[in-house]
Amino acid sequence: MSTRHRRAELLIYLAPVTIFYIGFLILPYLMVLRLSLFRFSSMRLYVPEFTLANYAAVITDPFYLGLMARTVGLGLIVTLVSLLLGYPLALKIARAGPAMKSALIAITLSPLLINLVVRTYAWLVLLGDTGVVNTWLRGLGLIGAPLPLGGNLFSVVIGLVHICLPLMALSLIGVLERIDNALIDAADSLGASRGRILWRVILPLSLPGIGAGSLLTFSFAISAFVTPALLGGNRVSTIATLIYEKFTFSANWPVGATLVVVLLVINTAVVVLHGRLFKEG
Amino acid sequence: MLDRALNLLGWLVVLFILGPLIVIIGGSFTTTPYVAFPPAGFTLRWYVQLMHRGDFLHSFVISVVLAVACSAGAMVLGVAAVIGLHRHGFTGKRFFRAFLMSPLVLPTIVTGVALLQFYYLIDLDAPMTGLLIGHVLITIPYVVRTVGAGLVQLDPAIEEAAESLGAGALRTLLKVTLPAIAPSIMAAVIFVFITSFDQATVSIFLAGPDVMPLPVRIYNYIDFAVDPMVAAVSTLLILFAFGIIALLQKLLGLNKAMGVGA
Repeated sequence: MSTRHRRAELLIYLAPVTIFYIGFLILPYLMVLRLSLFRFSSMRLYVPEFTLANYAAVITDPFYLGLMARTVGLGLIVTLVSLLLGYPLALKIARAGPAMKSALIAITLSPLLINLVVRTYAWLVLLGDTGVVNTWLRGLGLIGAPLPLGGNLFSVVIGLVHICLPLMALSLIGVLERIDNALIDAADSLGASRGRILWRVILPLSLPGIGAGSLLTFSFAISAFVTPALLGGNRVSTIATLIYEKFTFSANWPVGATLVVVLLVINTAVVVLHGRLFKEG
Repeated sequence: MLDRALNLLGWLVVLFILGPLIVIIGGSFTTTPYVAFPPAGFTLRWYVQLMHRGDFLHSFVISVVLAVACSAGAMVLGVAAVIGLHRHGFTGKRFFRAFLMSPLVLPTIVTGVALLQFYYLIDLDAPMTGLLIGHVLITIPYVVRTVGAGLVQLDPAIEEAAESLGAGALRTLLKVTLPAIAPSIMAAVIFVFITSFDQATVSIFLAGPDVMPLPVRIYNYIDFAVDPMVAAVSTLLILFAFGIIALLQKLLGLNKAMGVGA
């Protein structure tokens, strides 16, 4: 095939998707960026006059600073809990026999294929004041008054961990399965205890998986919307829930767009940081 | 000792993953006006009530139509792009691939907001079209990843043989390349379909009152009531998802489809 032919063929294959991405990904994102530099108007959605006031407000106002700190904190908690729960699960899967392994992988991954709203609804049912968990505990006589399980940070964390766990486990299973058993046998025959083997051999070798899983979990958790909105009972606000609020009820699009940029900056910073810490990726 | 503790914790995590789904399925048969688990008695009345909800049925149809159209759109754009990347080397190829994968990395809420204000700007007042564009955008990366993995495993000698025997580029594509990667295309279609069908975040921003996909309908409904009817619709969706998993398992093995193990 001549070079010209090959060029033409390449164009046919790649042009449609490129045009689609430029039109509906790059352009809308650039327009959000532009919107964040416009002035807010209570009469219209925004006034096309350039200003840095939205950024000034978001960076200096304690309300927004608190919001950012809370969102990042939520991301860190969810990542930590997902790691602590995902690691034993991934170890179990990596060590299981073939039949058990398929079954456990199917169970671990099944939530990924189940609607996010449905999974969040399940926790709404379980954790409410008159929810299933409180009803059980009261039925068993363990508590007198219902525990405050729902509509707060606790329920948001639980809901997000439930969603992130498969992503975390998936990243961990990959690295744990590749660990050479000879290394573990060697450590064992040299007299290392199980705890020491886990801490000094398995854990260090699985660091890339921990990094990848934590990155996935953290970026999902800080930008999740449905789960904090439903499980937070209007009391837990994150950058994402406030973005929704700014683009719907309060119709302050410029500030909403500024929060979008903030979220993207945090996300990018985490990806860059991850790249620095785990070079080979 | 440590191994047993870790093993036990592993089982507890399995319970944590499955528990809520079991409670929802069981609770959908309860006779109480709230979700109880174990269910009090047994009734199908929540399923019957669901069948009489025109708005839920309408939303279900919209979600299916949207997912089918999205599968078609994402496959055409995505498979073409992947084959182009596979057949040709060019500078910036890695960058271009990363560019194609970017909707997966970008927060869905941001994509939703970006499209919302963009449609307002260009005066696009057609929710179905708007939803379709958003869904195609966020599902193309799944096609690039899944079909791309299928193409990597394809022996280039097969395509070269076809071309050296005189088959034209189009003939080679239709008769050799596409049939050879059919399983991964099948898997990609299923992924795209279910991702579109389940998509809530982007849809919440782009849906209209008359064009409301099922996840958005459920979202709006549970914002004011948590009754067992939602458990019934959830159960149906869970069964739907497990049907898809079984199908994937049968077609090419779940581990392979999900990219776990070799």
